Amino acid sequence: MTGMDAILQGGLQGYLVVALLLFSIGLAAVLLRRTLLMQFMGVELMLNAANVALLAFARFRGGDAQAMVFYLFIIAVAACEAAVGLALVIGLYRHRDTTDSDRAASLKQ
Amino acid sequence: MFITFALITLLGALGMLLQKNIIVAGLFMVVAFFGVAGLFVLLGNPVAAALQIIVYTGAIMVLVLFVIMMLNSHEEEKAQAPRSIQRWVSLVVVAALAVGSVKLVLASAGLKALGISGAAMPQAMTLQKVGMALFADHLLGFEVAGLLLLAAMIGAVALTKRNL
Repeated sequence: MTGMDAILQGGLQGYLVVALLLFSIGLAAVLLRRTLLMQFMGVELMLNAANVALLAFARFRGGDAQAMVFYLFIIAVAACEAAVGLALVIGLYRHRDTTDSDRAASLKQ
Repeated sequence: MFITFALITLLGALGMLLQKNIIVAGLFMVVAFFGVAGLFVLLGNPVAAALQIIVYTGAIMVLVLFVIMMLNSHEEEKAQAPRSIQRWVSLVVVAALAVGSVKLVLASAGLKALGISGAAMPQAMTLQKVGMALFADHLLGFEVAGLLLLAAMIGAVALTKRNL
């Protein structure tokens, strides 16, 4: 299976290309958007890209169950990050009345 | 099939990146997560697909949409400073990263060989295998993950409470 075929029909390289593009879109959302909630969604997208790459490697190395364990841990950490991150966004909104990361440029009130 | 789910995933993510309205962007994220779940099914891993839908679209995105509606921040606020240099630099860096890494993956002979040898041994993931690996080899990690979730829960309550 050559490179282009792998992309079109779902070889290992096709999954890795999808994961890399997903990661890049997430990184672009973090760097280019100013709203904290959008940046947060970008971070979630990057975590998902890592999951896609992890499970693709697991499948092409013979269906190892260890990868699923690490996938579960990544999901647990993502859920923690969601809870604490959203709490911080709400805290910022209470103090500054904004969800724009550019407007939260100083530590003092 | 693969290209369908890959396109659903990437177009959902791209829609999230380009959308002005934040609630619509959140719904695009749901589309992208469903696409990723489809990719997991194609990888012979229905357990991960189910978890993806339950945890990401069912819990995390609902939480995000809930916070968006609670804070009433549907539109991006007007920029204080244009910061056009930083935006262009980050755009160039992201584009270079994407193109460079995709080229590296497509050129790699080792990945090509692994793709050929791995395609010959398709083995679906079952819940039994996951449970055996999780509770036989990684019991400590499982407990620590539970503790981490508890700490995050308490932390979230403490951070959002007005006067603790």
